[in-house]
Amino acid sequence: MTLQPEDFWSFYEWLFRPNAFLESALLQGIVLFVLAILLGLMVGYVISAARYGPSEGFYAVARVVRDLVRFDLPGTSPRRIVALARLAFKEAIRRKVLFVVGLFVVGLLLAGWYLNPESDDPARLYISFVLTATNYLILALALFISAFSLPADIKSKTIYTIVTKPVRATEIVLGRMLGFVAVGTMMLIPMGFASYLFVTRGIRHTHLEVTEVQELSSGRLEGETDYIAGHRHTFSIDPDSGGRGLTDMVRGHRHYVIRDEEGNFEIGPVADALKARIPSYGDIQFYDRQGNPQDAGIDVGNEKIAEGYGNAGISRLVGVAKGPRRIEHGYVEGGTLGMAEFTFHNVDANQYPIRIPLDMSIRAYRSYKGDIETGIRGSITLKHPTKPIRSVPITFYVDEYTVDEQTIPLRIEPDVSDAASEEMLAGLVDEKDGTVDVFDAFVDEQGDMIVQIRCLDSSQYLGVTKSGVYLRAGENSFAWNLTKAYISIWLQMTMVIAFGVMFSTFLSGPVAMVATFVCVLLGFSAEQVYDTRYYIDAGIERGGGPIESMIRILKQDAMTTQFDVDEVAGKVIKTVDAGIVYSLDAIATALPNLPKMVGTAEYAASGFDIFGALLGRHAAATLGYCILAFLVSYFFLKSREIAA
Amino acid sequence: MRTTALRRKLIYLVAMLAMLVPLFLLGQPSSGSGDSGGQLTEMRNRFNIAESDLGEISPASETMKLASLGMRGVAATLLWNKAHHYKVAHEWDRYKATLNNISLLQPHFDKVWEHQAHNLAYNVSTEFDDYRQRYEMVREGTEFLSKGVRQNRNAPRLVWYTGWFYGSKMGMSDEKIQFRKLFSDDEVLHEKLLEEGIAVDSPEARGPYFKPDNWLVGRLWLRNGYDLVDSGVKIRRQTPLNFYETGPKWRIKHAEAIEDEGVLDERAQNAWQMAAQDWQEFGERSVPTTAAFTIKLGQLDELVRLKALRLEEFRKLTGEEMPGIENQWQPDLIPYAKKAAPEDRMRAMELADQIMDIEERRVKTEGYRNQINYPYWDTLTQAEQEERTVKARRLIYEAEKANEEAELDKAIELYEQAFAVWAEIFDDYPILTVDDSAEDLMRSIRRYSVAIDSEELADDFPLAAFVEMMGTYDQVSSEAYELVRKTQKERAEKRKQELAEQERERERQAAEEMEREREARQKMKEKTEATKMADEPDKEEASADEANADEPMDNEAEVDEPAAEEDTEDQEVMPVVEEVTPDAEVQSELESSL
Repeated sequence: MTLQPEDFWSFYEWLFRPNAFLESALLQGIVLFVLAILLGLMVGYVISAARYGPSEGFYAVARVVRDLVRFDLPGTSPRRIVALARLAFKEAIRRKVLFVVGLFVVGLLLAGWYLNPESDDPARLYISFVLTATNYLILALALFISAFSLPADIKSKTIYTIVTKPVRATEIVLGRMLGFVAVGTMMLIPMGFASYLFVTRGIRHTHLEVTEVQELSSGRLEGETDYIAGHRHTFSIDPDSGGRGLTDMVRGHRHYVIRDEEGNFEIGPVADALKARIPSYGDIQFYDRQGNPQDAGIDVGNEKIAEGYGNAGISRLVGVAKGPRRIEHGYVEGGTLGMAEFTFHNVDANQYPIRIPLDMSIRAYRSYKGDIETGIRGSITLKHPTKPIRSVPITFYVDEYTVDEQTIPLRIEPDVSDAASEEMLAGLVDEKDGTVDVFDAFVDEQGDMIVQIRCLDSSQYLGVTKSGVYLRAGENSFAWNLTKAYISIWLQMTMVIAFGVMFSTFLSGPVAMVATFVCVLLGFSAEQVYDTRYYIDAGIERGGGPIESMIRILKQDAMTTQFDVDEVAGKVIKTVDAGIVYSLDAIATALPNLPKMVGTAEYAASGFDIFGALLGRHAAATLGYCILAFLVSYFFLKSREIAA
Repeated sequence: MRTTALRRKLIYLVAMLAMLVPLFLLGQPSSGSGDSGGQLTEMRNRFNIAESDLGEISPASETMKLASLGMRGVAATLLWNKAHHYKVAHEWDRYKATLNNISLLQPHFDKVWEHQAHNLAYNVSTEFDDYRQRYEMVREGTEFLSKGVRQNRNAPRLVWYTGWFYGSKMGMSDEKIQFRKLFSDDEVLHEKLLEEGIAVDSPEARGPYFKPDNWLVGRLWLRNGYDLVDSGVKIRRQTPLNFYETGPKWRIKHAEAIEDEGVLDERAQNAWQMAAQDWQEFGERSVPTTAAFTIKLGQLDELVRLKALRLEEFRKLTGEEMPGIENQWQPDLIPYAKKAAPEDRMRAMELADQIMDIEERRVKTEGYRNQINYPYWDTLTQAEQEERTVKARRLIYEAEKANEEAELDKAIELYEQAFAVWAEIFDDYPILTVDDSAEDLMRSIRRYSVAIDSEELADDFPLAAFVEMMGTYDQVSSEAYELVRKTQKERAEKRKQELAEQERERERQAAEEMEREREARQKMKEKTEATKMADEPDKEEASADEANADEPMDNEAEVDEPAAEEDTEDQEVMPVVEEVTPDAEVQSELESSL
């Protein structure tokens, strides 16, 4: 997976965006809050003014605000909240929502028809299927249970019995939300277990026999396993390893191979398939063929995905930031001074006691076919950030579309070809084998080290991104990673429940559900709305807004041609469209970034640890939206009480 | 208030019942026996488009179609969009998964299978750098297509397309050497093909190293398509000419491919012979045309002869000379027919009709032949299957190798031998000057002139005329080509006679040889009976060796020329072939003498 700029920010960076406060989440939250409150107050005033006249209306609104601040918020009792939560819980269970779990299990059973175990990376496919299925099912569940409860109460007028208990409006709303979240959590847990079992069982297979084995002159055994589930492994057993060996990495996993004294081979179960790597990313700097630094690598003409507007926050809404900001693969030219330089931080011996694992996801591009059978070669060179000390290059062949696990040894030979570096290395070089300690030679006082990636074949190119090359600082357990993905799903569910309850306070059941569904849908289509708005702003013909698109479809015109209507009509349509798109844009910016949250599954599927800041971000956003929904629900519930 | 509500409900109920009736008439499923079922079922049976008629039933597909709740089109559109998104993001696994899902929703839409299989094999495969991953993607494409074939039994175009993939993608791409080798070693795919009904283990599918060859396997697929059409399924969305032409073409391509890879002995000859056979078989096939009649491409001569015959008779009846009428395009003979004597007029009109009919067929046949260059391929296969041509190619191959290894003397000698043989070949088959190999030959001539370090070629250079004809652009001009085409036919006939002559000569010589031997043996017998000396084995072996002078030499020469990758296999196979022949000959001689 290629991480986007926003995936690299720590929690503090995301919240405050130093040097770019206009794009920060804090600003977005503040703006949303303020606007929502202002809008709410204004709408409330207008409605009360319509009912009671201007001055009476103002007092009505002021009274609600005073009630909230003076009585209801301080007087909210957790005991009553819990009681209402239990009520909501029981009600939901009685409505037989548990069948969603049954639906999930049925889905898992039928998944075998649609998932191909012979794919190149079955673990990834299975995990992403299971997480996406859970995600959408839980969102649908949240939609259904949250939207119907309050309106049912209001319609059957049992709300009065509750309200006169006395139960405050805050408690009603919070109790409902909490109850539904509890139901959802109760269902998420078995679904989580079922998913884990499904994934581990789905990738499980055994190779039964060894089809060919040969012994090399050094005593090393090399052989091949049989062909099971669409693949086979080659393995090797070193002579002094006591008959234990490893297969190669095929389809994202390997097996242990054990040979006993009688010469029988036993191939162990699947190993290393499900992991959660903890990457340590570095800063990337590209250099062109003359060795001059460049902003980005060479663009070899791959098609680009039109996404990446959302990470600019409010600044995009007001028009300050323009265009998508997306990390694409930057290519370095082979056989020249071109290279990609990664500056890694926190490189110290405690982190990497045995070796420094360097994982690479690199793409290759050939400008001429050359030798078809040999891959493109690249090299890894270590360098000190400030001093001109570099190591001897480590060569590798490009392995595309997998994570190529390279190792930087702790001791490596330095490049002593010029006098300056030789001077600086004096005293560090070991007399016997001419190597230096990596931490002594190439890491500076701040703990930074530079790794340079070059392409060795002339006129061929290697493509890297910032997240493509990293030091693997450690690994977490897969089960915990899956749990974190489920926590992210839980957060999304909480948000949708909050929205559902909010809408259900002033809309009837089905309408509230539709309104929540529309919010979710708009959240998922946000990037497309941003994209349309970007092209409208830039004046580039790309199909335009809804009305223009409809006309183009009916006339069977292309997206990029001139809009073929007469002048006045064209102007009117474009203006109305701009208005529609801008308001959609505003609403979409106000809504939670659901695609990003759903994208947390991608981390688990690709085998990367979901880092704490990511969950922290989701939690902060969820908290913010829940508070907002709570306030809005309170106001609407109060106003209905008054009306009733 | 309650009564209006009740009335409303009653109205709804009645409306629903009323709508049930047409629904039942239309959509009642068949209960198994002949005519049961509503109109839709009956139509399905009549047009043979029920699920079971179209191909293998896939329960996953039916489930998915049901689960889309009537919005199958929307679901399919979303999936196509998603597939494109994954392709742009280079997410190959998910791309393949999405394609599988699309094929579940739209299994009978041919274009789904064609387009996405093409996508996998041609577009996605090139995104990989490693040739083995490219091959896997090409294989994914062909397997995807095979799935489509299973679910659409009445779609000969899909079968043709699969055969096309095996041939053109694996055999004509930049990675053809690697793909061909990977295919011949891909036992897993071979087993899958056996299950599909492609006889991968038959001699028809095996190449020169006794492993399946992609061209020949593609041809087997195409023949499956031909069988399908022969059994009554119509060819849809494709020109029949193009449909039928590809099968024999793949044999030709196979022969060219193995010659490129260095197989230049009787295996190549055999391949060309089979190709010639296939091509002639194609000439005998009835090809549907855009007119109302079918034609046979190989029957042009027959039509011309028939037309001449009828014209003769027509001329006699009408008494008109009508000079040049044979060369007119669609001449109108009816006015001439009316000039015949009254008692002959009937016959004359008949003849006129017949002549015009034959003329139409002739025009169509000639047009179709020109479309696919039928005579060219016909002659090419004849020319290439001769031992002389294989020898010429072998000499060039060895000369090029010697040139690369900087053994200039050997190279020059081999070049000169090769050019002499090629000159002979061009004399008999000038059509070969338009072939791709003629351009390669020009390049060899260039390299030869570099080797002899002189721009000017000798005066008696055998290919002087050829070099001149190729001109400055290394391509034969179109007028020269036309001339060549016209003279080719006579030359081909002449060459055939020559070859027959040679064959007779050889037989005569062999017969004389045998006669002489028999007499010698008689004498020997008398001598041994007189002297009891055991000289026979030596003499016979000597004579046997002389008679087979040429063959072992050829075989030994072949050992030196393995192609790049097939080194080990060559060494394994060649000695076996070489040893068998002389031994057998000697053995049989010995046996006959005892």
